[in-house]
Amino acid sequence: MSLLSITDLAAGYGPLEVLHGFDLQVNQGEIVVILGANGAGKTTTMRAISGMIPRRGRIVFDGQDISSSSPDSIVRLGIAQVPQGRGTFADLTVEDNMLAGAYIRRDEVLADVERWFDVFPRLRERRSQRAGSLSGGEQQMLAIARALMSRPRLLLCDEPSLGLAPLITQELFGVLKKLNAEEGLSILLVEQNANLALKVAHRVYLLETGNVVSSGSAAELAADDSIRKAYLGS
Amino acid sequence: MMKINHGSPQHWALRTLGVALIALIIVWVPTQMSTSRIGQFSDAFVLIIAAMSLNLVLGFTGQISIGHSAFFGIGGYTAAILIKDHGWSPGYTFYAAAALAFVVGCLIALPALRIKGIYLALVTLAVAVLFPTLVKWKKLAWLTDGAKGIDSVRYDELPVWPILGELKGRDGRAVFAYWLAFVLLVVTYLVCRGLVKSRFGRSLVAIRDNETAAAVMGVNLTVTKVLVFGVSAALCALAGVLSTLRTGVITPEGQYVTLLGSIVFLLIMVVGGAGTLWGPIVGGLVYVWLDNTTRGFGSESDGVIGFLFGWSDQSPATLILGLALVIIMFVAPYGLVGLIKRLWVKVVVVVPKPAGTSLPTTGQ
Repeated sequence: MSLLSITDLAAGYGPLEVLHGFDLQVNQGEIVVILGANGAGKTTTMRAISGMIPRRGRIVFDGQDISSSSPDSIVRLGIAQVPQGRGTFADLTVEDNMLAGAYIRRDEVLADVERWFDVFPRLRERRSQRAGSLSGGEQQMLAIARALMSRPRLLLCDEPSLGLAPLITQELFGVLKKLNAEEGLSILLVEQNANLALKVAHRVYLLETGNVVSSGSAAELAADDSIRKAYLGS
Repeated sequence: MMKINHGSPQHWALRTLGVALIALIIVWVPTQMSTSRIGQFSDAFVLIIAAMSLNLVLGFTGQISIGHSAFFGIGGYTAAILIKDHGWSPGYTFYAAAALAFVVGCLIALPALRIKGIYLALVTLAVAVLFPTLVKWKKLAWLTDGAKGIDSVRYDELPVWPILGELKGRDGRAVFAYWLAFVLLVVTYLVCRGLVKSRFGRSLVAIRDNETAAAVMGVNLTVTKVLVFGVSAALCALAGVLSTLRTGVITPEGQYVTLLGSIVFLLIMVVGGAGTLWGPIVGGLVYVWLDNTTRGFGSESDGVIGFLFGWSDQSPATLILGLALVIIMFVAPYGLVGLIKRLWVKVVVVVPKPAGTSLPTTGQ
């Protein structure tokens, strides 16, 4: 069943069109990766889905048309975004960051904080520290935990590997995979790192200058020669 | 250095001592000090309220406003007009002024939402410059009395508060103004504290730190920014009413009604510590103390001060104030509250409770 269904999505900034009308589907329980180089329109796609920029085309989430919904109503429907560059609130404590993530709900918030601290134990150790004092990896974990606080059904992750050491990135993708397997969370992930992305993804879309040029299962794309040359370097 | 645990008897003793000390000073001022001293404290309270209101939009939400002098003026003029022309009892004008400033604040915030940083600063600057001009406008003279302003705005008879007893004369008025300002200061502090420490407050800091992230967490940027601007304007108007009631006068060029007022509020907030609840309090007290102390310096002074400033015909207050502020910002880039915290940990460290005990850990 299709959780997120995008048809003919076009978006951009002012007169500059970045996305030129493509289709994309995320099914319930899937990890879908959008792979693309710098400037391909990956982040713009994320912003268009979460309602941060004006967009054309049809975006349907769980049977509901969200093509012209505001960012906060989209969050309420169950889409959470981990923005690029983490976007943790530097001056709030780790715990307050988590509570801020639960902005749209009031019930069982504290229980949820503990629950995600179980998944990210390092955040529990740092719960009363300023988020700004955390390492890059910890901040990325916090950004994900914070997004989960809104109890999303679809998690948008904008290049979580950005600026992280390979080992930390691997740990992070492990967590995402676990969340998908154990919690049934659907994830739409934007990545430049093709090796990593192909390992966690069920399906992959290849984005080039605002158009989907190729799509398929992770195995299919990994086997494609031209993609291997362009993105895997072998 | 001493280490004590959060919530331990020593910690409570320390807290109690602090509260007792503050309470003692608050009662000491109006009962033991001279009338002019009491007036200075009332003035400080007024400025603290204004700086707290600015802190809400600037310190916590990160929206620059240099237009708060206009809200201060709206408060002052609302009170003056209602009391003089419509015979209102001064107490009720606080509500009217706050309500009016809230509406005006929201209206100004609406277009201001599309712009950020230096551009927002310029729009609010225009508001600050426009306000005195608007008040002086001939066609509004029937309402505002033009450039000469409105005077003799005061309580005909001071209300009797049970604890204070009956207050009479100039001294009585000063004492009453002091307590009135103090009560409003506490109210403003509680409003700010309630907002900042709540879910709403977290959304404010979220907007300041990262607007995009705040939006994708479901914070409605428009509603939040407009509301906080409105509340801030309303609180600043309270300070305006207080100031007018205390001095009895309001004019378009009066203290804190012009752009200079906005600068003073900004200064107090930054010097005390932006984005902290106690920053405006510390900043306001230091500002008024510096302002009053240095005002007397000049050719009349002797000793070191006479040697340093004897050449000056005019009061060197502004010069000294400016220098002092530069020095303060050097040694305390995060404001005086930040400096006090940094020094305080060298004396006593309060060890926070171990992780996980502050919240009920009811799993699902």
